Amino acid sequence: MLAINQPSDLISYLSDHRYVADEELVTSLFLLLKLHKPLLLEGPPGVGKTEIALVLSQLLGTRLIRLQCYEGLDVNAAVYEWNYQKQLLGIKLQEGSGLSIEEKEHHIFSHDYLLQRPLLQSIMEAEKAPVLLIDELDRSDEEFEAFLLELLSSFQITIPELGTIQAKHKPYVLLTSNRTRELSDALKRRCLYHWIDYPSLEKEMSIVGKRLPGMEESLLHQVVNHVQQFRQRKLVKTPGVSETIDWAESLMALGYREVNARAFEQTLGSILKTVEDIDMIKVEGAEAFA
Amino acid sequence: MKKQAFATSSITESIVAFAQFARSHELNVGIQETQDALQAAKEGLLTNQNQLRLALKTLFCHSPEERLVFDKLFMLFWDTNPTHMREERDRMNIQGSFEPKANATLVMLGMGKTDADAEEAKNVSGANETERLKRTDLSKVSAIDAELLEQIAEKLFRQMALRMRRRMRNTKRKAQINLRRTIRQSIASGGEPLDLLYKGQMPKKQRLIVLLDISGSMDKYSFYLLRFICVLRDYFRQLEAFVFSTSLVRVSKALKLTRIDDALELIGRHTTQWSSGTRIGDCIQQFADKYGKQLLNGSPTVIILSDGLDTGEPALLDAELMKIKRRARRIIWLNPLKGMQGYAPEARGMKAALPHLNDFRSAHNLQSLLELENILVNA
Repeated sequence: MLAINQPSDLISYLSDHRYVADEELVTSLFLLLKLHKPLLLEGPPGVGKTEIALVLSQLLGTRLIRLQCYEGLDVNAAVYEWNYQKQLLGIKLQEGSGLSIEEKEHHIFSHDYLLQRPLLQSIMEAEKAPVLLIDELDRSDEEFEAFLLELLSSFQITIPELGTIQAKHKPYVLLTSNRTRELSDALKRRCLYHWIDYPSLEKEMSIVGKRLPGMEESLLHQVVNHVQQFRQRKLVKTPGVSETIDWAESLMALGYREVNARAFEQTLGSILKTVEDIDMIKVEGAEAFA
Repeated sequence: MKKQAFATSSITESIVAFAQFARSHELNVGIQETQDALQAAKEGLLTNQNQLRLALKTLFCHSPEERLVFDKLFMLFWDTNPTHMREERDRMNIQGSFEPKANATLVMLGMGKTDADAEEAKNVSGANETERLKRTDLSKVSAIDAELLEQIAEKLFRQMALRMRRRMRNTKRKAQINLRRTIRQSIASGGEPLDLLYKGQMPKKQRLIVLLDISGSMDKYSFYLLRFICVLRDYFRQLEAFVFSTSLVRVSKALKLTRIDDALELIGRHTTQWSSGTRIGDCIQQFADKYGKQLLNGSPTVIILSDGLDTGEPALLDAELMKIKRRARRIIWLNPLKGMQGYAPEARGMKAALPHLNDFRSAHNLQSLLELENILVNA
């Protein structure tokens, strides 16, 4: 087990796992670990919100359980569902067994017939507190958000046939949102909050450098500098850090050592994702960003 | 007046006082947050001021906007020297001040202009008062009728919202087999599932974005249209509303107030540009730039309420609408002028917009607004 006594310890641990974090983020993470409150991360797409959960689980040496939210996500898909087909078979198999009805019922409503979905898994974890990532919560409906309140404050889930299941180890909960809609105040109040923004030039260079250790310093600087300037433009889809990494990777794969006009033409598709953006940047040309 | 750091005697007291200070400046900080802050302090986050700031920030703030305010508050609380303290003034700076146009509220309450030309209203005849008013052009309603019309509008709009909710609930189609209910049902046939029961797809709640023109030429209408938007809010839980004339203001928050008059008053206070000129293209651009990425996800329906009398560039409007169209399910333009006899969309702005619209309708009387129901339900 790692000794985490103050936030700054986390910076170096995270950096060992190739994640560059600033003091603000690690303070939030530190509080997440110490206070056991869920942490809500918001920010534009592609700045490492989901990644931090992955890294945190590696760092703590626990399992990462992920729940991807979408419109129409319901309790059956998020918490648990009875395995009806298996229950039907179970009833058939028991037909000649002479068991009493209570025993039969007890049998088909046991854990064997329970399909655990991510939220239930996260509180049933036996060994160690897992990291639970509830991704893109803003995509789910308000109803689901309301349901989460119970889980996030008392870490328990009630299944009518089985009773209330209390978490053995409280999971570390990370929630992410792209702010396509405002989350409810009730939910926000139960969470710590951190806003991740696009990184500065220096920070982004160190992030890309961490991810692609073989990259030459001059190319790295050029790439990141370009992307930083792209973000100042009015683009339909502003590139995130993950796109920067993609672009750097494709440039390296094609053997370029600098971002020249030809490289620019060829690889723009890995950083800009709409025709309008690509056209607009192409018109300006590679020289405009040098 | 709340205490500041220098006025407290222990660190616990300071933190509690800071929580109160933050609360008085409209951060949502309760007892739970204060407790967490003390807990955090116990975990050794007091070693330097910066760390304390970051820890309190993550505990007390819940949006990027609050985070900006927080830094100022923190400075103010922990770094203020008693001799420099002018809390009142600083408070103003934090929240930002605005000078509402003196008569803005008046205009919004529909009393801005009183010289209603009642003659044309009389031309509309009908079997009874309600029917007559429903079909009367909103700008031609006399002062006496206005009150009555408001009541009718209120009632009809409510009914409409209710109908829309009901209708949605009943249109469930066959989709997936609902095993849970099928098994329950099979008890009647001795455990053999003879009748299959289906699980319908819950109807999707359509997201709606409304842009309302509140420029001078729309004065007579914007009052009723805003009420109409308030009613739509009841049905479309994810409703985003904006008002615009020369610039764009987001009013979704204000619409969340339960009492409709509170909402209208709040919007009036925050909007300084009732009855000014119109720059539709610029405003649509502002919308697309500032909110487009956030709000145009998941193809919402966009409704623009405007007379299309634009003083800006039509080309800009053209380009911006095209952008929105690509990401919206549909764009509906409601134009009060369309209800006039002999109206043709000749205004430059309106002409530029037409090719991008899925629907171009009138919105000059109650009847035309109520007809929208059918379109929105099937949206």
